[in-house]
Amino acid sequence: MIVAFPHMGNMYIILQTLFNELGQTVCVPPPISKRTLELGAIHSPETVCLPFKIMLGNFIEALEQGADTLVSCGGVGPCRLGYYAEVQKEILERLGYRFEMIVIEPHLGDVVHNIRRLSTGKSWLQVYRAFQFARGKMELLDDLERKVAWLRPRECHRGTVDAIKKEGLVRIAAAKQENDLTQIWQDIAASLNSIKINQEIRPLQIGIVGEIYVMLEPFINQDLERQLGTLGAEVHKTMYFSDYVRGHLSYSREYRKRYRMLDQLAKPYLGHYVGGHGLKSIAYTLQKAQQGFDGMIQVYPFTCMPEVVAKNILHQVSKDVDLPVLTLAYDEQSGDAGVITRLEAFIDLLQYRRNKQTQVIG
Amino acid sequence: MSVRVGMPQGLLYYQYGWLWEEFFRQLGADVVPSGETTRMTLDYGSSLDEICLPAKVFFGHACALREQVDFVFAPRVVSVKKGQYTCPKIIAMPDLLRANAKLPTIIDSEINLLQSRRKLMEAVLAVGKTIGKSPLASICAWGQAWLQPRRLADDLTASNRLRVAVIGHPYILHDRQVSMNIINRLRQAAIDVITPEAVSCRQASLAAQPLGKEIFWSGSHHIAGAAMALMTGLKPVDGLIFFTCFSCGPDALIGELLCQRARVHNIPAMVLSVDEHTAEAGFITRLEAFTDMLVRRWRR
Repeated sequence: MIVAFPHMGNMYIILQTLFNELGQTVCVPPPISKRTLELGAIHSPETVCLPFKIMLGNFIEALEQGADTLVSCGGVGPCRLGYYAEVQKEILERLGYRFEMIVIEPHLGDVVHNIRRLSTGKSWLQVYRAFQFARGKMELLDDLERKVAWLRPRECHRGTVDAIKKEGLVRIAAAKQENDLTQIWQDIAASLNSIKINQEIRPLQIGIVGEIYVMLEPFINQDLERQLGTLGAEVHKTMYFSDYVRGHLSYSREYRKRYRMLDQLAKPYLGHYVGGHGLKSIAYTLQKAQQGFDGMIQVYPFTCMPEVVAKNILHQVSKDVDLPVLTLAYDEQSGDAGVITRLEAFIDLLQYRRNKQTQVIG
Repeated sequence: MSVRVGMPQGLLYYQYGWLWEEFFRQLGADVVPSGETTRMTLDYGSSLDEICLPAKVFFGHACALREQVDFVFAPRVVSVKKGQYTCPKIIAMPDLLRANAKLPTIIDSEINLLQSRRKLMEAVLAVGKTIGKSPLASICAWGQAWLQPRRLADDLTASNRLRVAVIGHPYILHDRQVSMNIINRLRQAAIDVITPEAVSCRQASLAAQPLGKEIFWSGSHHIAGAAMALMTGLKPVDGLIFFTCFSCGPDALIGELLCQRARVHNIPAMVLSVDEHTAEAGFITRLEAFTDMLVRRWRR
């Protein structure tokens, strides 16, 4: 069994570790490229959302490289993600590939059954350890991302932070034992702390809301986070991979409490869950306004149902709390020049607003 | 003076509108329907961005009622069947209306049968309460409304003319402006048109099973099941037109599945996608090309 899975940001590091520890051979699909996108777009329905196309492209490239088991996720709606696997399976079969698809549905019985399928011959203790190890890496990756987002607008020499991040990713991916992770993190943190930073700068605070796939995958969002960082803004993603896992997979109590809080916050604008992250986009915009952010950016794949709903409400939220919101919808046609121009204009606007505010206070 | 309740004629109105209209009438309210979709409706609807055409149409209808009514009936229909959702845009419709238009009081009671059917009665009572009626009056009116006779779809299995299944959501097919009057156009060309309503819910549910995982959008579940039933029944249809609106989320996936099935069953299928910019001439040309092909194939 050679296992493959779709890409989403740094997720491959975590899943590769997990499946390796479970005793499977893993075929990581080639990094998302123009070819992935083209392959996916050719064989997908025209107006389906971008993650579907990319995931299909990943699967095709993985199958070309010899994978025979595809792992994907299911869902119960109303977001389209829950029905992806079913349609992708049909398309891949029509293209003549032979494979087995393991779709992990959010029911306990189903999850247990599929974990057993993927971990034949391993004891439950070993399975537990595998998950612990993967979780350790996941948290490390997210800590790294957060620290990098803070440092980027403040570094004196552009690009230093990203070089360290790149190196860090390689080291985390290569770690073979859970015990090594502490040492690796100390090393990375040490080199990040030694970077020369400009203490005086008070960077613009920008929050990113929207659909998680576009938020986490730099190929799709045209490296949004880094672009904003180089333009001098401190970026706060409202969702990291670990949040997603905690919220949707382990369903922790802390997360449920947070979700209830967000639900209450969004209630005057959106009275019901609409799937995906639509409700959170609105709730986080309201929350960040209270925290004194300078601006928000909503990102989503073109035709994403929950986010389109949120978009049509966000303009009202933005007006009410006086917080500018920029909306960016991505599809396979998005060009980077267009995005950069819009980001620059947005940053200029925010800077102007801030200067005006300081003048009023001063 | 009795209260005036406006019924925007869009989205689920085409399925459940008759029932709610009767309910309001039984309660002694004046029901004001918004009428057929016009160019004006679409103009109003254009204030929503990137959203599908039926949602814009509903929005336009609600706006058109603005001056004439005390209440606009736009309930939050989360689910009409256990385990199934309607669609994010239908769920969020009251919020979209509130954020984008100045309207009279919106009756936005939540109808959510995701977990249990009993919630329907709660919704009925809540709607009655909004227009100032007692629970007892609401229950009586609801019971009365159910007794009204309904017109059923014609049974066309016995027909010996060319039979074409036109598959799409009722709020697309039965809105003459949105659907470009496709049903009548086909009928004028001496073709028998079968829409998903001709297939019962039970039948559709059964027929949808070979599609794999149960579809969790109730509207799409029914139309996919109906299409399957019409393609695999004793007398399969001669052609299938999947009628959808640009940027309809579920249809993007369901359309793909249905076209694949049609290919397997050797039934010609065409996807027609419209939005507010679709020109009639181009649309008719495509329709004619498809029906001509069907006729030639049928004669052979």
